[in-house]
Amino acid sequence: MAEHVILFTGPMGAGKTTAIESLSEIEVVRTEANNSERHIADKPTTTVALDYGEILIGAEEKVRLYGIPGQKRFDFMWAILKKRAKGMILLVNSDAPDPIEEMLSFIEEFRELYDRGGVVIGVSRADVVAGPTLGDYSDALERTNPDMVIPVFTVDPRNRDQMENVLLALIANIEMRAMFGMMTTEAV
Amino acid sequence: MAVEVNQVAGEPASVSMGFPVTVGWTHAAMAVYSVLRLNTPVNLKMHIEMHSPLLIDFRHHAFSWSTPLEIFPVDAVHTGLETEPTSDAAPPLFELPGQDLDGLLWEMGINSFGGAPAYWLPPDERYRLTRWPNLTQHRHTMQQMQMMAVLGNTFVSTSELAKLTGADESDAQRLINALSLMRILTRTSAAPAAVVVAPTAATKRQSLFGRLRKRLGR
Amino acid sequence: MSPGLHTKPAVVKAASALLTEMQGVSSSLTYAALLTDDGFDVARLPGETDGARFAGMASSMQALGDAVTHELKIGNSEYIIIASGKGYVVQLRVPGKELVLSALWDNDATVGNALAISRSYAQKMADLLK
Repeated sequence: MAEHVILFTGPMGAGKTTAIESLSEIEVVRTEANNSERHIADKPTTTVALDYGEILIGAEEKVRLYGIPGQKRFDFMWAILKKRAKGMILLVNSDAPDPIEEMLSFIEEFRELYDRGGVVIGVSRADVVAGPTLGDYSDALERTNPDMVIPVFTVDPRNRDQMENVLLALIANIEMRAMFGMMTTEAV
Repeated sequence: MAVEVNQVAGEPASVSMGFPVTVGWTHAAMAVYSVLRLNTPVNLKMHIEMHSPLLIDFRHHAFSWSTPLEIFPVDAVHTGLETEPTSDAAPPLFELPGQDLDGLLWEMGINSFGGAPAYWLPPDERYRLTRWPNLTQHRHTMQQMQMMAVLGNTFVSTSELAKLTGADESDAQRLINALSLMRILTRTSAAPAAVVVAPTAATKRQSLFGRLRKRLGR
Repeated sequence: MSPGLHTKPAVVKAASALLTEMQGVSSSLTYAALLTDDGFDVARLPGETDGARFAGMASSMQALGDAVTHELKIGNSEYIIIASGKGYVVQLRVPGKELVLSALWDNDATVGNALAISRSYAQKMADLLK
């Protein structure tokens, strides 16, 4: 069976579990514990190991959706989960104290996923709070990673249609990058 | 046939541009392009038959229009266009935040010039995205998404873009026009970095994008 | 549970005392920690182990154990054992609390004995928090 592992990353409270629930065809495997950091993200529970969902494409092919726990103290899970992933959807919530800085630190942490696949960024709660504009996110990415053109979209993780768009944009990007990587080699 | 925006120094009154009654968005796109290129504080008011006036405040990258973009009138009859010089200190043209101008630029760019190159685009150039448009907020096709994935990764001409994605050249051109109007393309006249080959039926079948898209019914 | 038990000095003090007492019961106990369900270290025995990191790992393991028993529809996970050549980890939830006891034993202890001691101290911790 062919499998394609897509990782959902980003800080606690960005909507990773919700996004996977919007996309998955199976009941999502959740590993949640009561959240004792309500001052950081005001939600009752938080993921402490992983979330897991699936989209079955045919009898022989699956897109596996894995979500990481967002807190740095679970970074051993990040190392485990990023091994098999071919791309990442990085979610950040606009109402965090410094969402741009958080985005940049996750890009840095998961840079190998950009290098071997692709990355799309989803900014959640952008319509609810007066946080940075999408342009601010792109400016920061251009400043720190001038060689990357990473798509940045506003998303509502509860919205299946939007999450499908984000996933498809990621896959299109991964495939085109692979194709141009190959073609450039052939042309040399 | 460039529409230049009349700049009337020291005259705050709005200026009608001698705008002919036109069907479709080509003239509107040209006017908007001129304002964006000049980058001077100007408000724009478009009169469109059967619709309320469309207001654009470029200082805030926002527009206000009672017609939702989901039912964008492709064949709108434009009956007039006014520009109004303003200043950074002046109050906004409408109550902010309004709507993000990018949504309008996207629709306008796709639906103007009839699939021919926008007048400001010189021939024989290659394009690449500098940033992606906010796709979750713009109506788009899967083919447009795929074309943007190409443009995000390499410089291509319009015809190369069409060939690579199996799109009609006019559809590729419409996308280039829109992205250019949104000012998120960079251009070069240099030769291609890689040999462009049209994907075969076999490579299309091998594409996860194609299979997933089908699976999701898109 | 807000704020977490790890931030309550009385709980931390009682948990530390309990772990020390537990170590007195068996010389095979080489490390032990009490941690919150969401991976915060409440108390631990001194040792070379990075307590904060181990607390995160142990909470992930607990949650994965719960996810597996849920998936297989076999009720709740009662304890988790990881056996290795140099010892084993016995881990279980403090009954009724959002707290996990995880203990490392050397090979001189039997699994049954280690499990019995761990269970009894998890219950003691639960009684202390009543």
